[in-house]
Amino acid sequence: MTCAPLISLVDVTKTYYLESGDFTALDHVSLDIMDNDFVAIMGPSGSGKSTMMNQLGILDVPTTGTLSIDGRNVADMGTLERTHLRRDAIGYIFQKFYLIPLLSAYENVEYPLILKYKKRDTTGRASALLEAVGIDNEKGVHRPNQLSGGQQQRVAIARALVNDPKILLCDEPTGNLDRKTGYQIMEILCSLHKKGKTVILVTHDPKIAEYANRTIRLEDGRIAESS
Amino acid sequence: MIGDIFFDLSVRSVRLNFLRSILASIGIVIGVVAISTMGMLGTNMQLQVKDQLSSSANTIVITADAIRMGPPGFSSSSASTEAGITKAQLSKIRSVVGANGTVISIYSSNTEFTSGSVPARGMIYGMDPSDVTEFLKVGNGTNIASINEALAGYTLAESLGIKVGDKIKISSASSGPPGNSSSASRATVRIVGIIDTRGTVADSVSSDNGIVVSREWYTAQYGGKDSYDQVNVIVDDTDKIYTIEDAIDARINTDEKSPAVRISDASSQLDTISSTLETLTMFILAIGGISLLVAAVSIFNVMMMSVNERVQEIGILLSIGTESGEVRKMFVYEALILGILGAGIGGVMSLVIGYSVVSAMMGTTKFFFLPESLIYIPEGMLIGMVVCVISGLYPAWHASNMDPIDALRSE
Repeated sequence: MTCAPLISLVDVTKTYYLESGDFTALDHVSLDIMDNDFVAIMGPSGSGKSTMMNQLGILDVPTTGTLSIDGRNVADMGTLERTHLRRDAIGYIFQKFYLIPLLSAYENVEYPLILKYKKRDTTGRASALLEAVGIDNEKGVHRPNQLSGGQQQRVAIARALVNDPKILLCDEPTGNLDRKTGYQIMEILCSLHKKGKTVILVTHDPKIAEYANRTIRLEDGRIAESS
Repeated sequence: MIGDIFFDLSVRSVRLNFLRSILASIGIVIGVVAISTMGMLGTNMQLQVKDQLSSSANTIVITADAIRMGPPGFSSSSASTEAGITKAQLSKIRSVVGANGTVISIYSSNTEFTSGSVPARGMIYGMDPSDVTEFLKVGNGTNIASINEALAGYTLAESLGIKVGDKIKISSASSGPPGNSSSASRATVRIVGIIDTRGTVADSVSSDNGIVVSREWYTAQYGGKDSYDQVNVIVDDTDKIYTIEDAIDARINTDEKSPAVRISDASSQLDTISSTLETLTMFILAIGGISLLVAAVSIFNVMMMSVNERVQEIGILLSIGTESGEVRKMFVYEALILGILGAGIGGVMSLVIGYSVVSAMMGTTKFFFLPESLIYIPEGMLIGMVVCVISGLYPAWHASNMDPIDALRSE
């Protein structure tokens, strides 16, 4: 039985038109990511990792080529449809955590639920997820700037999971954490992968990349190595 | 709105920059106070005039038409005869009015009074003493009973210090009545009563700054016995006022090109005064509006600052699935909160400042709490809030149209 890829890039090119000249960040990239894959994307600075993440996270669309998620061509979607896909199908975990500073830890986790259901969470899902990543109710009322880096990243993971997305996009999730906390975060991501999530991870650190079952190395906007 | 996460975010943003928000709202406060106070002042002035005129709302004032005062070819003697309402015209008016009202014929002139050695100018009215009580109230003293007695207006009595029993000299020189040989002649009358103050009235009898004498005394001093300066008709039923006016007009003004008499009432005078006061009020309101324009610029500036300080936050919101309309809503809420803040404080201050201004400028707050006056407070508040929201529209649009990738990258 052949399975359709969850994410499919076919001959994707992303060119930025700058005053100093055109810059091709992704150059004819083709890639399939299957459901429940754990993919690490590696490469030096300027290799196109961030551009790749923006494409996979539907924050941007390819200049040429086709990007499909769950069988739907992203280029055919309207702005609102892409926004809803980001909200429902993708969970984002960033290096700088990117929590909403005016909201408490609990409210940060609850926020995507409110976006989806247009009402406050009464199911207890946000609290349960916070507890699952090791943030108790007492810490939940704190604003992001009152939490440590590790705690903020745990809150960010809970936020990414709250709408039960198929895909977790992690952009250097341990980059701002000490080694021990970084490994703790990676353990959480591994357990999520085991529970069926598709995890895509951008990292510089080969040790972190070892957690993945596939590694893609980018160089000058092209896939140099895929294992 | 309450319980909406975007409203909560807006409230928290305002709270985080509370001093800046309050300073921006002060512009709105000033604008709301300016509009409300000026509006209330204008309305209170209109209401006062209306109230004063309404006391004579049942009165028709008939005067000789100005054109007849001295057209080319008229001799001075004929002009003098034609200058007022003739006896024939008066009897026509009486027959038209019949039992529907009271007809009062009045002589009047502008003259100089002297009480002791203090001179003053004012109006002197000659009328039948029995007509006096039809529309004037003698508050202190009694009505005229003999030819040498007179009533003084309240303001005149106050300014000259006239009391009941005092004698005042009246000059008859200014009007130059026929048969008065000495230009410096002074006739003396004894004040027997003080007429209550009437303020602005529509019956053309400004008794406050004048005196009332019997018509025998008046015609003896000023002549013109057969020519009344004005005839007032006090109508029993105000609803019939226009019917009676039309009937008088049809009976006396037979020549349409050159009407013999001019017929007016309180409503026509009220229209003129109201329209003048309304123009004045609009002008003052426009000045108040300028302060709101300045406030709008200040709110726009603060909103742009808020958007520019929160670019990364906007990037986070957009990247995790917030619709651009929701981001727009968040900033419009923020502008609305500034508006509510400014309008709320402005509303309370308008009540206090408006009351003080009306009290100081008009000397009375009798009409201040009437709905027509107080409505300017919610109106001013609403305008303040609308101005705030409009000022926040562009910053909100700017925020919602940011590219999430660029916004996330900003520090």
